Amino acid sequence: MACPLTRELDVAGLSTTCNAIEDSTLASAPAGSQNRLGERAGSLEDISSSMAANTNGEVQRLGNYIPQAEEPVSGGTRLEKMSRAVKTLIECLGEDPSREGLRKTPQRYAEALLSCTRGYHVDPHGIMNNALLMEEYSGMVVVRDIQVYSLCEHHLLPFTGKIHIGYVSSGVVIGLSKLARIAELFFRRLQVQGRLTKQIADAIMDIVKPQGVAVVIAASHLCMAMRGVQETNAMTVTSSFMGCFEQDVSIRNEFRSSVGL
Amino acid sequence: MSDSVPHRKRSPSTSSSDASSKRRKSSKRSASSKRKDNEQAIQDDDLPNGEHHIGAFDRRRESTTRTARDPRDEFHPPKKRKVPKAARKEAQAPVNGTVVTRSPTPVIDFDGLSRPSAGTRERLEESPEQAAVRLDRMRGAVRTLLECVGEDPDREGILDTPERYAKAMLFFTKGYQENVQDIVNNALFNEGHNEMVIVKDIELHSLCEHHLVPFFGKMHIGYIPSKTVIGLSKLPRIAEMFARRLQVQERLTKEVANAIMEICRPQGVAVVMEASHQCMVMRGVEKTGTSTITSCVLGAFEKKSKTRNEFLSLIGVSGGRRL
Repeated sequence: MACPLTRELDVAGLSTTCNAIEDSTLASAPAGSQNRLGERAGSLEDISSSMAANTNGEVQRLGNYIPQAEEPVSGGTRLEKMSRAVKTLIECLGEDPSREGLRKTPQRYAEALLSCTRGYHVDPHGIMNNALLMEEYSGMVVVRDIQVYSLCEHHLLPFTGKIHIGYVSSGVVIGLSKLARIAELFFRRLQVQGRLTKQIADAIMDIVKPQGVAVVIAASHLCMAMRGVQETNAMTVTSSFMGCFEQDVSIRNEFRSSVGL
Repeated sequence: MSDSVPHRKRSPSTSSSDASSKRRKSSKRSASSKRKDNEQAIQDDDLPNGEHHIGAFDRRRESTTRTARDPRDEFHPPKKRKVPKAARKEAQAPVNGTVVTRSPTPVIDFDGLSRPSAGTRERLEESPEQAAVRLDRMRGAVRTLLECVGEDPDREGILDTPERYAKAMLFFTKGYQENVQDIVNNALFNEGHNEMVIVKDIELHSLCEHHLVPFFGKMHIGYIPSKTVIGLSKLPRIAEMFARRLQVQERLTKEVANAIMEICRPQGVAVVMEASHQCMVMRGVEKTGTSTITSCVLGAFEKKSKTRNEFLSLIGVSGGRRL
């Protein structure tokens, strides 16, 4: 079934360059066949193309804006359609959707879900805001303990934890908060932890073109703690090392000791 | 009843004038004599600062929101009738050959403890075909949600997500179908123990009813038995039963406290829960380090601040501790 947002995506792989970032004109997407978001490792041009196709060229920053809630789709606005679905869910659970505490829950849940998946609708160009600087620093830059709260795509249940990002610059340095914003762009989606790690690493590799990138995520999954095996203390750690981190063990170890893993 | 009075001595009134304390005691006596249910008379103790609490042993704190129920499960105590017996029998006689039927028995929750939901009886008594229909409806709803979010519901990773999510949600609301009496399973023992019993660090996961997003944390339960001691594992089981619902943390704490109070009739019950709410962490204000603490104290814990303080220091709840 074709979704409005995925219909226009390009099948091309990652091709973002430093020049493209400073170019504020968004490329228009060729009318391609329906693509699947999960199969690529987060192409930034594809995301910006889909933004252009759907919001008439408006650039949305990652913030508290919940996009497209009022957009009319078949069956009312997006929010109304989701609210009806949630009301069905509540009825099927055996609760009474008209009691006081549950009366507005469908709207609240719909807005919460849209808010937690707003990473689909964000343009990374808007995030970057030209925060790439030429610096002579060639040491390792590590930003650790970035909070991640994402939704597991298998159960739609949250997994929360910390992301640690490190890179070794090759002459271009990125504004520090942009690392956290890129991470948020990718974790505000229905995700699998391994894919999330790789997408963040690929994106930073594309934008900054450093000597190497390392991303480690340590998270606890509510789908494992609340149900099923019900392991409350288990942590899942995934990592992605690229460039010099992949080749050199000592750089990897230095990164590991910086983040305390 | 001497064994129901707590072993701790009454704290002396520290009011400056004897006359004022006498006035207070006389006013209390008139209030207590008006109370209807006097099966266990509880002595009201004066706290050192002169305040006093009305005994809460025979009056549960009711929630202001009525629990949604199947109308067939409403318990109606038999009313006194002024109609004579003969006339009543005539009214109940079958008309035109129809049979007068009663509401289905046994009623699921007539003691007001388990607080089932409107659809509890339906979920308990449904056939496998009806369960499949229910699951289908939920799957359709989740698929709509995935489409509206902008995902492709046919891609490999989320093709089965509607079914997984539906089953997970049915698991998270299984507490409605459970009965407190079944859970306790007559695990009440006459030990003659009068000291505080605490079961702490009970990990609970529940669903916030406002956002359908999880909140989880630890519950600490303490009680002072009067005659009967309850099997220790029953306390976490009762807590789990009330947690596996669409809940509000305040109501969860109160329901657990009320249930334990009614089941083993102790001298007092105290329940404290500290939890982290994902609805506050993942969305909205997005504050990650916050912890919400709610408590419900009944009986001896409510009347005596010393008892309450002993409980709170034993469970060690403090603002700086991470969950």
